[in-house]
Amino acid sequence: MMAQQHASTPIVEGLFEIVAGTPKLIGSQCHACNTIYFPQALSCRNPKCRDKSVEQTFLPHGGTLYSYTVQRYQPPPLFRMDHWSPYALGLVDLGDGLQVMGMLTGIKLDEIAIGMTLKLVVEPLYSDAEIGEKLTYKFAPAERAGAA
Amino acid sequence: MTRSVYVLGAGAHPWGKWPDKPQLQLAHEAMNLALADASLAWPEIQGLVAASSRFEGGMGWGLHANEVVQSVAEQGIPCINVGGACAAGAVAFQTAYALIASGQHDVVAVLGAERMPKGFIPRPPGSPDDISDSDYLRWVAMGATNPAYWAIEANRRKFDFGTSDETLARAAVMMRKNASGNRLARFRAATSIEEVLASPMVADPLHLLEICPVSDGAAAVILGTEEYTRKTGRKPVEVAGCAIATGEFGDPARRIPTVSTNVLPNVSHTSEVVNAVNSACEMAGIGPEDVDVLEMADNTVWHLLSWPELFGFYEPGQGDWMLDNGKLEIGGQISVNPSGGFLSFGEATTAQAVLQICELTWQLRGEAEGHQVPDATIGMSAVLGLGANGGSVILKT
Ligand SMILES: [Zn+2]
Repeated sequence: MMAQQHASTPIVEGLFEIVAGTPKLIGSQCHACNTIYFPQALSCRNPKCRDKSVEQTFLPHGGTLYSYTVQRYQPPPLFRMDHWSPYALGLVDLGDGLQVMGMLTGIKLDEIAIGMTLKLVVEPLYSDAEIGEKLTYKFAPAERAGAA
Repeated sequence: MTRSVYVLGAGAHPWGKWPDKPQLQLAHEAMNLALADASLAWPEIQGLVAASSRFEGGMGWGLHANEVVQSVAEQGIPCINVGGACAAGAVAFQTAYALIASGQHDVVAVLGAERMPKGFIPRPPGSPDDISDSDYLRWVAMGATNPAYWAIEANRRKFDFGTSDETLARAAVMMRKNASGNRLARFRAATSIEEVLASPMVADPLHLLEICPVSDGAAAVILGTEEYTRKTGRKPVEVAGCAIATGEFGDPARRIPTVSTNVLPNVSHTSEVVNAVNSACEMAGIGPEDVDVLEMADNTVWHLLSWPELFGFYEPGQGDWMLDNGKLEIGGQISVNPSGGFLSFGEATTAQAVLQICELTWQLRGEAEGHQVPDATIGMSAVLGLGANGGSVILKT
């Protein structure tokens, strides 16, 4: 209850937003060639593109699992997570040639399968009496994404 | 004008952990060995190109060549310090090559010397803590370690080609077998598939013994003209091709430390290295089928299976069969990392690509004691560095 006075906030500002109860990743789209980037980009990076100017956009909030791993060792201290235990990291194909990495949640480590359909969710990573609860984006099996 | 360039001498300090030797001393020892190998001394050196490190030495500004010259031979020669992270040694080599090929200088040294920090590599000072720094993002948002990126590639390979855990482990076994005959390697004890698979899982499917650790080490190469190589009285080792490249937009490789990839059809995976290899082959007028020895960056066993396929040595997915049937061993169809590779050396980042060129030189001269590839006449190196830096060197005799 200590964290009550603080709002839950994204782990990094500008990474995602919750719009009408639905989490959305914030990216950029090029005006000229329509390429989508995540996270938000300073410029289009397509070498064939002459315009280069980008504007903020929300990314598709679901995709298919392209590949994954399970991290068995705790990452260095810049990463914080309450109740650490090995967790899965996935590479999710959001369509339009964009693949995004993120933690997987809501699935047993031995039931993860390449090709499965995933939905974006937002979950607390850790909470801290000083700064409150920190949220990150994750991907969960599509059928239970509503639980977030 | 373009002149032929030759490797006059090569020298390397053994890889390991050397807490009592500062980076500068490792650099001196490698340079002294390379000079002796070339039957030269500092007064003949007309330029020094060093791979810049951010970990130690170089007066804090990556001035590693200046620091070496000031400590041993203040003779007014050009000192060039080049960045390229783990590919810096290849960038240094390319630079030295150009100084000689252009006719500007006759004898130029290339140096990479590194002492790696303990534990995880810290972020550089001054990095912003926001979405513009993907190295920050990958840590705080998901804790993605370097092995996680490689593991994601390896798991996809298992899905695409049915690569087995035993085949992945066999690559690590082969590296140790090769290293057993190389006195410069750090890990020289033989291992087995059982031992590799019993080592702790780091990031599925990669075990501890399937991922290269970090080491301290130093390597140097002296390059020179045809006239100088004649004076050595040795079998000439010529630079047949060398190239550096950076990554291409649309490359599907999971590039450390990004958290997303824009994938386009018809762009090579690990394009920075593939493009460097292709350019070096074109310059040398050879194809992959002509290469006897490949020294490549094996940060993991996945790299050993996939990179030769990406370079066109054989079809995608064929690496498993090649490895399982001994075709990649010393004296096989193509000898991959007869040195024992990064897996047996540990990575001394900026020194690694220079070591690869030393190894190729010794192989082509027939001096790779204990791990010699029979009748090797063409050798190729391939290396990858942060920032999407790729480099490749082809030597011939
Ligand atoms: Zn564009």
